[in-house]
Amino acid sequence: MSIMELNGGSVIAMVGKDCVAIASDLRLGNQALGLSSNFQRIFPVTDRIYVGLPGLGTDVHTLWEKFRFRVNMYTIKEEREIEPETFAHLVSSTLYEHRFGPYFIEPVIAGLAKTPSGGVKPFIAATDLIGCLNFAKDFVVAGTASSKLFGMAEGLWEPDLEPEDLFETISQALMNAVDRDAYSGWGCVVHVITKDKIVTRTLKGRMD
Amino acid sequence: METSFAITGKGYVLVAADTTAARSIVKMKTDEDKIKILSPHLLMAYSGEPGDTIQFSEYVERNIRLYQIRNTLTLGPSAAASWIRRSLADSIRSRRPYAVNLLVGGYDTSSHTPELYWIDYLGTLTKIPFGAHGYGSYFALSLLDRYHDPEASLEEGIATLKRCLDEVAKRLVVSPGKYLVKVVDKDGVREIEI
Amino acid sequence: MARRYDSRTTIFSPEGRLYQIEYAMEAISHAGTVLGVLAKDGVVLAAEKKVTGKLLDLSSTKEGGYGGSGEKIYLLNDNVIGGVAGLTADANSLVNYARTAAQRHLLTYNEDIPVELLAQRLCNLKQGYTQFGGLRPFGVSLLYAGYDPHYQFQLYHSDPSGNYSGWKATCIGANNGTAQSLLKQEYKDDIEVKDAIGLVLRTMSKTMDSTTLGSEKLEFAVLTLDETTKRPKAKIYKPSEIDALLASEGLMKKDEDTEMKAA
Repeated sequence: MSIMELNGGSVIAMVGKDCVAIASDLRLGNQALGLSSNFQRIFPVTDRIYVGLPGLGTDVHTLWEKFRFRVNMYTIKEEREIEPETFAHLVSSTLYEHRFGPYFIEPVIAGLAKTPSGGVKPFIAATDLIGCLNFAKDFVVAGTASSKLFGMAEGLWEPDLEPEDLFETISQALMNAVDRDAYSGWGCVVHVITKDKIVTRTLKGRMD
Repeated sequence: METSFAITGKGYVLVAADTTAARSIVKMKTDEDKIKILSPHLLMAYSGEPGDTIQFSEYVERNIRLYQIRNTLTLGPSAAASWIRRSLADSIRSRRPYAVNLLVGGYDTSSHTPELYWIDYLGTLTKIPFGAHGYGSYFALSLLDRYHDPEASLEEGIATLKRCLDEVAKRLVVSPGKYLVKVVDKDGVREIEI
Repeated sequence: MARRYDSRTTIFSPEGRLYQIEYAMEAISHAGTVLGVLAKDGVVLAAEKKVTGKLLDLSSTKEGGYGGSGEKIYLLNDNVIGGVAGLTADANSLVNYARTAAQRHLLTYNEDIPVELLAQRLCNLKQGYTQFGGLRPFGVSLLYAGYDPHYQFQLYHSDPSGNYSGWKATCIGANNGTAQSLLKQEYKDDIEVKDAIGLVLRTMSKTMDSTTLGSEKLEFAVLTLDETTKRPKAKIYKPSEIDALLASEGLMKKDEDTEMKAA
């Protein structure tokens, strides 16, 4: 058993037309024993950036608290919100600081970047546990159900999905993938981020 | 061997821990108190490596008290749980980590709600309506999934807790004989007989 | 007599004084005024800028950020605004320390740092510079305007010695004596934010060096509680917002030519 599989949990993020979506399951367990069905592993970094942290439960909190610290300092000093790509590099360097004693998390980042014309450009990224960045154009997955999520996403994703369609796509990808994984599930939460608002929905799933 | 449970109810948190202190096959003591009172409205049940348990729980108890003396503000359950979690998260990557698992139950006097936190030796923190540590959790959690009512009165909560204790007594090979039960509500902390 | 005991912070004079600290406070008495008033539903801070001029690049204050030119009033945390008087470079260092201290508290306790605790952190730092290391003290006095769930709205003042106290209304920097007595006469215990704003602006207009108030010389900030979220809301005014506020309070500088014509 690997330490990354102790608590369980998975996260997926997808790109749509002028929107992004990020979703995760809500299970926290101790190997086979389920402990909590509302464990939050996706956190808001700014109004337009969300970060998902699947992996070891204690590091989920530790990393989130560390990112919150660094992003708050950035915001207060720069007097502006951090951009998604900049935040992704912040995640990468934070993880690499612990190259030889890493946090057991594989972060997933989803956000909307500002374009010079005032519009938005969807952005997603993921890193491994030591900070190697992956800037994907379609979707990124991480967690105990990652192999199942890859399969579902590859099959269901198509470019330029509208927010409502993106929500359906990401939800189906996540729900069906976690049903095949013993360590993920117990409910799901989906965030769809658009220019004007963020819609968060909690999905009812199989509680087994 | 060491078992602890906790459940939330209407305006209270019930915390129960076994009272056995044993080494290998010998029961040294059967009236050990494993529930520390951290502040007038905060309880913490501990279990884990002998020695580490007392050292860490007393460290927590004294530091919570120091914060209160220094700053004339009491730490609410959420802030206290965060501080405790941070201490354990720092400990796990140190030279010799504390191997202690905790159930932190408290009554938040500003929002008037009972709160319960499950914390393990790695620094994993989750806020739960009911929880348990030890082998007893394998028996109790499913019972609590079925019978727990977050709006239950204290009597009903005690009855639910009794179900768990009886099940563990019946099915766990080396089950603890006695349990100590404490409750925290708006009036503070007190021990109760069950 | 002072000359023999004033070049090192770490020694007392025979009369029991620490001259370096007193000299630091003297430096502050030449700096731009910062005024703070505590109301029952918020705290108001205003400050006089000393660094002004046509050639100053103020583009960042108009569009982005918090609005203030970043000379006197700073956001320390979501729930605390700080006003500084004294050596700007020292102030920058202390503001950075305060911001880091507030984040460290958030890291450990997952809640906003209580206002008094933040003031204490800074004061402990400042006191260290009066006792160890032989380094000069910080030449900065700060006003902390903040909110926490324990004591609601609060206003604190700290000085180079590392001492702090809580105030209902206070003033630091140049002409602070005049401002303080004005505030003493006019302050009422159950004042509301909108009246506190008026009080602050009127007191500023009487104590500032320049003849009339305007956004080029004034920085302004208000801390209140958001109605819906019940979380503290810190607002540092942009220059255009300050002008609008002054106009509504009737304190805008008048165009002299127009007045002549009217007469």
